Amino acid sequence: MKALFGRRSVFVTVVIAAALILSGCAKSVNSSSGTTSKDCGSWAIAMHAWTGYTASAQVVAEIAKKELGCTITQTTLDEGPTTYDAMEAGTIDVVIEDWGGGRWSDWTKRGSVVEAGLNGNVGLIGMYVAPWMVDKYPDITDSKNLNKYASLFKTADSGGKGAWYEGPPGYTTIGEKMVAANKLNFKVIFSGSEAALVSGFTKAEANKTPFIGYAWQPWTLFAKMPNLEKGHVHFPANDWTDAKTASGLTDYPSTPLMKLISKKLNDSTSAFKTLVDNFKWTNADQNSVAADIEGGMKPEAAAQKWIDAHADVVKTWLGK
Amino acid sequence: MHIRKSYLLLGSVTIWIALARLLHGKNTLQIATYENTSFTSFIGEKALALRGNRTHSGAFIYFFNPIRAVIDGFVQFIRNLIAVPAPGGLIPIIGWFGVVALVAFVVFATSQWRTALLSVALLMACGALGMWQFTMDSIAMTLASVILSLAIGIPLGIWAGLSDRVLKILTPFLDLAQILPTLVYMAPIALVFMIGAASATIATMIYAIPISIRITSHAIRNLNQSPVEASTSMGSTQKQTLKKVQIPMAKQMIVLGINQTVMAAVSFVVIAALIGAPGLGKPVISALIIRNVGQGFVAGFAVVFLAILMDRSTSAAAKRQESFIPPTPKKIKMKRFTLIGTGIAAVVSVFLSRTILWAAVWPTSINIAPQVEKITNNATQWILDNLSIFTVDFKDFISYAFLNPLESILSASPWYVTVAMIVALALIIGGVRTAILAFVLAMCIVVSGLWYESMLTLTQTILGTALTMIIGISLGIWTGRNDRVERILRPFLDAGQTLPAFVYLVPMLGLFGPTRFTAIATGIVYSIPIVVKIVAEGIRAVPHSLVEAATAAGSTTRQIITKVQLPAAKKTILLATNQGLIYVLAVVVIGGFVGAGGLGYLVIVGNSKPELQGKGLIAGAAILLLGVIFDRIMQAGARRSA
Repeated sequence: MKALFGRRSVFVTVVIAAALILSGCAKSVNSSSGTTSKDCGSWAIAMHAWTGYTASAQVVAEIAKKELGCTITQTTLDEGPTTYDAMEAGTIDVVIEDWGGGRWSDWTKRGSVVEAGLNGNVGLIGMYVAPWMVDKYPDITDSKNLNKYASLFKTADSGGKGAWYEGPPGYTTIGEKMVAANKLNFKVIFSGSEAALVSGFTKAEANKTPFIGYAWQPWTLFAKMPNLEKGHVHFPANDWTDAKTASGLTDYPSTPLMKLISKKLNDSTSAFKTLVDNFKWTNADQNSVAADIEGGMKPEAAAQKWIDAHADVVKTWLGK
Repeated sequence: MHIRKSYLLLGSVTIWIALARLLHGKNTLQIATYENTSFTSFIGEKALALRGNRTHSGAFIYFFNPIRAVIDGFVQFIRNLIAVPAPGGLIPIIGWFGVVALVAFVVFATSQWRTALLSVALLMACGALGMWQFTMDSIAMTLASVILSLAIGIPLGIWAGLSDRVLKILTPFLDLAQILPTLVYMAPIALVFMIGAASATIATMIYAIPISIRITSHAIRNLNQSPVEASTSMGSTQKQTLKKVQIPMAKQMIVLGINQTVMAAVSFVVIAALIGAPGLGKPVISALIIRNVGQGFVAGFAVVFLAILMDRSTSAAAKRQESFIPPTPKKIKMKRFTLIGTGIAAVVSVFLSRTILWAAVWPTSINIAPQVEKITNNATQWILDNLSIFTVDFKDFISYAFLNPLESILSASPWYVTVAMIVALALIIGGVRTAILAFVLAMCIVVSGLWYESMLTLTQTILGTALTMIIGISLGIWTGRNDRVERILRPFLDAGQTLPAFVYLVPMLGLFGPTRFTAIATGIVYSIPIVVKIVAEGIRAVPHSLVEAATAAGSTTRQIITKVQLPAAKKTILLATNQGLIYVLAVVVIGGFVGAGGLGYLVIVGNSKPELQGKGLIAGAAILLLGVIFDRIMQAGARRSA
């Protein structure tokens, strides 16, 4: 390598080495203060890609750091298998909200992921039309009438049918089955991200253009667009008695959201485990924190605001 | 011969359109997104079994896991130096002041004081954007992967430079790696090496190593052979010749290779966050989640600054070797003194950054992020408010006039028609061997069961490339003919190439909504810089004598462009088209985030739904196959036209 890097490189290396050695010897500002408590330990919380999740996870993280003195790492990563793998490998300890009713079963069977109970939030999924449409076409919220209006929803991308904007990739989505089972003249368009849906709904409402899309609660869009609720399109509930209709799912069931923890946390006696086990709050709680975050508040600050206002609830989570 | 070829092309396209019309909707091989073919569910099961095996299979315990541990440790070591506190500490080993001083010193020593000053300014700018720690994390990740890539790439490159057989074995891999879209192979890597810094480093290395191998071997091969022969004839051993003659002579080119390797690693900074790597990608992704465009841009700017810092400092190091005038003894002495002086200053700064608080932790009071955020948010809002009327109309026009007809030809006609026609095009443009390759690869896609989605993706890629070429060639000609335009455009091109697509995804959504065109527009923004650069290079390479002769003969500017410069640069333009297509294809996965469907969506959905995992992995492979088919056809076409 000396042929490639000349004398000057040697000098540079020497300086860097000197700097490193020196910095190793020097008394660091580190030693002046050390506050991390050792009882709680250090734990990693998975951070998933939606604001509601961020709200729940941040509240848990803030309490753990401030009340229990835990060292908390927050790792952004994909939900589902990626996260379960990380839990198996020991790099993630907590998933505070999982929608995927049972998709973790391969991992729980192996014992690497443990269900830690429900987090109190209930996931409601449905198809919603832009609220202005309900005022103009009052019967549109009955799925039987959707075909009557299908041509309104036509776009350049929907191949002559109505455009049906499906939920983000990781979410439970059965749009194709719903369209088939309800014999709808719609084409499922995979909108691909929460951002895409938000921009779809808000633009449609602002410009009074037709839009039907996937929405879920708890979701901050409902805080910004309260009348979105009335745009909920009602589909017939799934009928499993008749073999013919049972071939397709006709609507989404409601989903109680689950907490998952790693084997390591499950086996420990840390106060952090108690906190995660006891953590339970409502959709309204989550929405209020999430709305603050979307409004531009730092997640830490938004979480702290909620914690300060709900000291009694936090106390019960801590088991005090 | 030439005319006959274009008639043949026209003829086969006409037949294609006629057949597509006639057999519309038959044998399209379309399946619902939630459905698996027997092949994709087989792959899915294998992937799931792999996950289960990670803790007790020998391959993992003795091979993959140790690799992961070593790389993880290496990255963690560098991070502890500059980015994050070591366990038990509160600050990294070197504080911000020390890092700035060290960077300044290293850049000064390897290039010149001006570049050093620029580097310091850029680093401070990243800090002022409130991104100090993320920037340090990214630098640590980049350093780690560059060091590892060079440790493998340079020796292999030298070997391939000396031995024809090694080069022959390596070439197909190098070609493949260039086509492979980065977002595609992240999932398989994460499957084996888990998410985290190690996976991200390995993914970066896969992208960066081929570049350093290619450039190093090229450097060794293209040397002036007479000194090498002289050395051999004087009885030097092969090792001596290599050490004393070939490597020193190839040095400048090898340093350029280092520059390209570094840039490849930097371009990974954001994507790496998708598999859990620390760094600037994190704030970019979280800004996307809350759709805060300004916040995304703040982090995006830091990425751009980091890229400029890395590019300018390493390319300046390459350039300084150029000077042929030997420096006077006085100058050497001066330089030596300043070097020693700055070296001492750097060591002292590091020491300070360790012992004094202000030099250790970036002062939070210096933070211009809120202002930058506000300005970009307002600018974006203005663009959305005032331009979306035009953009929606434009999108609809493109969709109805081009996208839908093309999609109906490619995806809504029987698969055998499309396969036959792709093979026919390959035969006409590239010859028998290309045609056979195209046929085999296309059939692989058919068998995999993702033909329909592949055709959706192909439609978007073709249209994206076409639009890119229209804009890219015109800009390329302009910059190629005019140095001033080049200077003005260069920063924008650099930014376009390095600004992560995730940053402008939300404004794009605002302009075009969740549609296929949004994906196309993203691809265009990403691929235009490379096309402009290549075309401009080609135009500049046209011999001056040709242009002068045409001017003397009284040609107008337009005549010079169309009759002289464009034909002379034809081969380069074909290569630029090829690069454009590969680049558009590379961001096809991102299209899955914005409603474009196709293979990109399957890749994404495969990552988060266990039951579709196999389909996602196969979708990634299908993107690669599409890339290889078109790369081969166009390369063959470019070779033949030369």
